[in-house]
Amino acid sequence: MATPKALQQPASLRLASASFLAFWCLIAAFPIFWIAVMSFKSPVDAFSANPLNVVFGPTTRADGKGLSIIDIVIGLVVLIAAVRLAFTQLPKWVGRLSPPGMAIIGWLVGAAAYAIAFLIVFFGILPVFLGGLNAVTGPLGAPVLGLTTEHYYAVWIENGFWRNFQNSLIVTAGVVTISLTVGTLAGYGLARSGSNLAFWILIIALIFRALPHSVLVAGYLPVFINSAEILRPILGENAPTLYGQPLAVIAVLVAINQPFTIWMLRSFFQNIPNELDEAARVDGCTHFQAFRWVIMPVMWPGVITTGLFSFLLAYNDLLVTSLLLDAQNQTMVPAIAGYFNRETTTTDQVEAVAAAVSITAPLFLLVMIFQRQIVSGLTAGAVKG
Amino acid sequence: MKLKTLLMAGAVSLMATAAAQADCAFENDVQVKSLSAGFEAWKAVTDAMAECGNVEAELDQEFRTKQPAAFAANPSLYQIGGVSNGTVTPLLNEGTIRPLDDLVAAHGQNLAPNQLIKIDGQTMAVAMMVNTQHLMYRQDIFDDLGLEVPSTWDGVLEAAAAIKEAGVVDYPLGATMKSGWNLAQDFNNMFLGFGGVFTDADSMPTVNTEAGMKALDMMMRMTEYMDPEYLVSDSTYVQQQFQQGKIAMANLWASRGAAMDDEAESQVVGKVNAAAAPLAMEGGAPATTLWWDGIVIAKNISDEEADAAFRVAMEGLDTEMVTANNDEAIWLISGYQPNRLAEGAIATASADPAPQSYPSTSQMGLMHTALGNELPAFFTGERDAAATLEAVEGAYVTAAKEAGLIE
Amino acid sequence: MKFRTLAWFVGPSVFMMLLFIAFPLASVFLQSFQITQPIVETVEVETCTPGFLGQTCVTETKTTPVLDENGNPTTTTEWVGLLSYARVLQLEQVGAAIASGTWSSILAIDFWKALRFTLTFTLVTLPLVIGLGLAIALAVNNAARSIRGQIIFVSLLPFIITPVIGALSIRWLFYGDGIVTAMLEGMFSTDISVAANGWAIEMLMMFYRVWHVAPFAFVIFYAGLQTVNQDTLESAIIDGASRFERLRFVVVPHLMPLIIFIALIHLMDAYRAFEEVIGFSSQAHRITLQWLTYDLLEPDDAGNRAISRASASAMLTMIGIVILLIPLLRRTWRDHKGSAH
Repeated sequence: MATPKALQQPASLRLASASFLAFWCLIAAFPIFWIAVMSFKSPVDAFSANPLNVVFGPTTRADGKGLSIIDIVIGLVVLIAAVRLAFTQLPKWVGRLSPPGMAIIGWLVGAAAYAIAFLIVFFGILPVFLGGLNAVTGPLGAPVLGLTTEHYYAVWIENGFWRNFQNSLIVTAGVVTISLTVGTLAGYGLARSGSNLAFWILIIALIFRALPHSVLVAGYLPVFINSAEILRPILGENAPTLYGQPLAVIAVLVAINQPFTIWMLRSFFQNIPNELDEAARVDGCTHFQAFRWVIMPVMWPGVITTGLFSFLLAYNDLLVTSLLLDAQNQTMVPAIAGYFNRETTTTDQVEAVAAAVSITAPLFLLVMIFQRQIVSGLTAGAVKG
Repeated sequence: MKLKTLLMAGAVSLMATAAAQADCAFENDVQVKSLSAGFEAWKAVTDAMAECGNVEAELDQEFRTKQPAAFAANPSLYQIGGVSNGTVTPLLNEGTIRPLDDLVAAHGQNLAPNQLIKIDGQTMAVAMMVNTQHLMYRQDIFDDLGLEVPSTWDGVLEAAAAIKEAGVVDYPLGATMKSGWNLAQDFNNMFLGFGGVFTDADSMPTVNTEAGMKALDMMMRMTEYMDPEYLVSDSTYVQQQFQQGKIAMANLWASRGAAMDDEAESQVVGKVNAAAAPLAMEGGAPATTLWWDGIVIAKNISDEEADAAFRVAMEGLDTEMVTANNDEAIWLISGYQPNRLAEGAIATASADPAPQSYPSTSQMGLMHTALGNELPAFFTGERDAAATLEAVEGAYVTAAKEAGLIE
Repeated sequence: MKFRTLAWFVGPSVFMMLLFIAFPLASVFLQSFQITQPIVETVEVETCTPGFLGQTCVTETKTTPVLDENGNPTTTTEWVGLLSYARVLQLEQVGAAIASGTWSSILAIDFWKALRFTLTFTLVTLPLVIGLGLAIALAVNNAARSIRGQIIFVSLLPFIITPVIGALSIRWLFYGDGIVTAMLEGMFSTDISVAANGWAIEMLMMFYRVWHVAPFAFVIFYAGLQTVNQDTLESAIIDGASRFERLRFVVVPHLMPLIIFIALIHLMDAYRAFEEVIGFSSQAHRITLQWLTYDLLEPDDAGNRAISRASASAMLTMIGIVILLIPLLRRTWRDHKGSAH
């Protein structure tokens, strides 16, 4: 695309803009990068005041856990190859293998499969292979960079963190699905109704969004714990205890998230021309049929974007999940917060960091996949006001 | 991969149960759930209980919020509760735990008499360990500088001055003075050490007294030798400071002792020793409080469940568990071998006059919160000591009125 | 759209909000005017607790709730009007402070301290979030197309990361001998204690909030920039508008609805800030209104919780937020009136 001459920028401006961006990226990524580095070190190194100790991990290395030059070189090669493959080959495979119209699900499955394959190769096969190689190469095979995956092992295998991961998946999937179903209907209804009632629903929803959550959540706890007693007159002996039930937490999170969802989706639907469904209604469709056959096919960009925000809320929630779920159904974030209670040790803290880094990984993948949809969804919807 | 992990973990836990069931004296076929705090000693006890089968242990950091409500439900959501002398109060007040005398007679033949927590002659809880804050210090530094281990807080300050002079550590003193619960607890220790009494017979506050002023003054003098960030320093932070060799002394929880000798974390293995908590004034008790942790059984459950729960709990509190986890706590259970770091706690608990047990009363709970919220202003310099204690009393009175304890 | 149809569409959503938000809110509203107390009696109790070897028994008078025949504590509920509000606001102390002319001591009272900080926090971070978000959006829009994807990805990281973890990751860089503090100490060869200074903690909390939210503003603005009318821009160039003037008179007005949207969201979220206090352990120096509510609700060891005062404090927080939002809400009302039908 040719830039009009007048829009071309002087070198100084371009330089300033580029260096500002570089600086921002550094600030944005550094804290996260740093905890990732910490999670691979022994506790002594991880909390060292000297950044070089944190990076090179002398204590970790002294324990015989580290990477040799060979490890680093081969590891990097595999890593770069994997990333290149992800950006070049993966889209093709997904395109070829996923049934038409199911591209999103295809992407999710593809990305998950790729991630798992990568984990197996990188943490399963490669260490064994390199271990053998290091043993025969002498000085090149001696560890130079302290690094240990013991905390990840401790978190995921010994502490059974995979169970929390499962619970998080259930809660998050539930919240996103229900939130979007309920929210899409409401958003559409509100966008197409000019009545004052619609306006007041929106305003009240906005005020609901402003509520401090700790008040709401503390109100739920006694009711949830005693729900069997409270509901018994209505439901008889089958009355459930809501405390600890993922479904109850899903309902709460959906409700808390509704205000934002309906606002986002309403402004999105407002930008779908009214003529589209009016034409359908002239042809004899009801509102619901118009919604089903005319609006649904074109609403996906906005729904995906809104869905991502619901996902983040459900995935990252601490207040609701820590109070209303019992240990068997606990999700990942309260489990991590549990490492930081009054009675922790330094090892617990590094394990918490490892857990924290690993729960960020799915978020990484998700944003990578949906990055363009976020921007295009926003462009198409909310941002037009 | 995930499937494999699942299978592996499943297999491991199956093996664990199979191997473990051999360790439990009976096979439990009643579903038993427990709710407790999550520190190491509870992990050890609940793991031992799980050996009997059908036990679900919940180690929850929100247990203080959940426990009263969950035990008040009918039927109770948990059969076994893990409590301390602070957190047993709401359960006792609301009558949601059952007297254990019958169960102790039936299954408690291995319990020592001092494990039974008796309220008006009825056994309401079974203690498993004691905990207290006492002096931990770097033996090597004290030896190098030729210092005596101090037995009073004035002595601690003198030793701190000498260590500061020598410049061998970053800060001579550490303290668990994180604003909120920790800071209030440190004040409690010092206040009791100066012979203070928190409330009078009418539940009115009596902290704005000479003992209160002295306690604040002593704490302020301590801060000169501490890391200036002491208002964010909780037990874990002080423990890390010890482990990294940054401090030489601290009045720290006995349950933290084992971490000093943990080779994976500590750079001072074998160099830290423990002594009795220092006295605040001559002839007084050590400036600290005694705590116990133990189990209670819910009231709103059937007698069979209670029976099973108590038997399971006894398996968790047996000698076998203690031998396997000797250093995790100062156990009250037979078979416990006190190690080097337990000496301080034992010396504290058997001092004469002995320190008080942390009072399990509603008034104390309110006072603790009031102290935790109002004391920080004194340490940040926003208020002087008198105004701070006045504010503490004000906050306490408001809360006590709301709770219906005073008119 | 007819009322019935609208009701069908919004029904499920409204039902959920009523059940899980409006209903608890109503009960909070009621509780702020009530005080529920157990009926207590004073009894003499002998308590035996373990020492290490022996056991100590003390007899003391204790207040315990009276239990009814079902074994539940009996309680009384009283309407107390605005008493709980007065207790939260501590108007007596405020009056005394004004009378004695020591204004600063007002800020030592919890509610006013929290209000002061929450307002400063909200109003200072607002322009920073919008400014930084806009700057990043413009810079990214300016960057080569080939690297935009990666930059957007990196920029979004602070927004997607779990808030508690994000706050801790920054805390570890600064608190104690965190590496940034250690670096600064090395550069200026002094001893720096970030967590010992209220203002330093305050700045760190604001830094974290801006770091966390600016990416959200950025991605919204960036999407908005994609729809700027190129014709208007070109005619502005023909009219000889400078780069800054084009930004000021074409781009910013185009983004105005988005700026309002971000401001709205940010005001709400920042006014109920909470994670920062926990993440940075700032209770000694700085507290927020939601933290105050949370603290009143947290039971102490003895199980006491100040529900009435917590409800009052929550209602006061809500009133504050509604006042802050009024200008923005009025604008929405005008838009609604303008756009309807």
